[in-house]
Amino acid sequence: MLNEYFYEDLEVGKKESFPVTVTEKMLDAFRDITGDDNPLHCDEKFAKEEGYDGRVAYGMLTASFLSTLAGVYLPGRYSLIQSVEIKFAKPVYIGDELTVTGEITETNDTCGLIFLKVAITDGNGRKVCRAKMQIGVKKRDDQR
Amino acid sequence: MTRDEVFEEINLIFRDVFDDDSLVIVDSTNSEDIEDWDSLEHINLVVAMEKRFNMKFNIKEVGKLQNVGEMVDLIMSRM
Repeated sequence: MLNEYFYEDLEVGKKESFPVTVTEKMLDAFRDITGDDNPLHCDEKFAKEEGYDGRVAYGMLTASFLSTLAGVYLPGRYSLIQSVEIKFAKPVYIGDELTVTGEITETNDTCGLIFLKVAITDGNGRKVCRAKMQIGVKKRDDQR
Repeated sequence: MTRDEVFEEINLIFRDVFDDDSLVIVDSTNSEDIEDWDSLEHINLVVAMEKRFNMKFNIKEVGKLQNVGEMVDLIMSRM
């Protein structure tokens, strides 16, 4: 499902949410793409010795779901991410069932922008990641 | 507000947007003078000015602004 909101369809308070489960395959693919082979993410024994429950998911892997939020859900097709501020509050592990939720906190008519407050929670409802996003959204009469 | 007062407020906005507390602007300051003043930061300047002065601009008029002095003049014309 790809949402197709135009700027005019959106207002403060609008929310979109989707679930995603973190898999070992995702961590391995992220390592292959980025070359980040830090053992905290790749070596379960090392991660446990460091006091974690297992391999810790890359923070930027969790952050990558912000791209999905903007590009697929809010606003979807007519989205252009301009900036992201992100905080990683708690570690994420393989098997965690995350929920990504974005809510519009502000809009700007002149520039066709929405500002999102984003929370990513784990299966226990704990916030593992918080973010703010600035996203350009196409207007219906845009000629681009 | 006087033009000087508007100018001072805009200087504060520039410092905030470009994260540079030492930044000093003049009427002729333009995007050639500030390395990070690109199209994205231009949008952020517009958003910040709209908020600070509680006014709405037209995207065409803000797209034509050539320097800080023209920004100040635009704001003064709406007061």
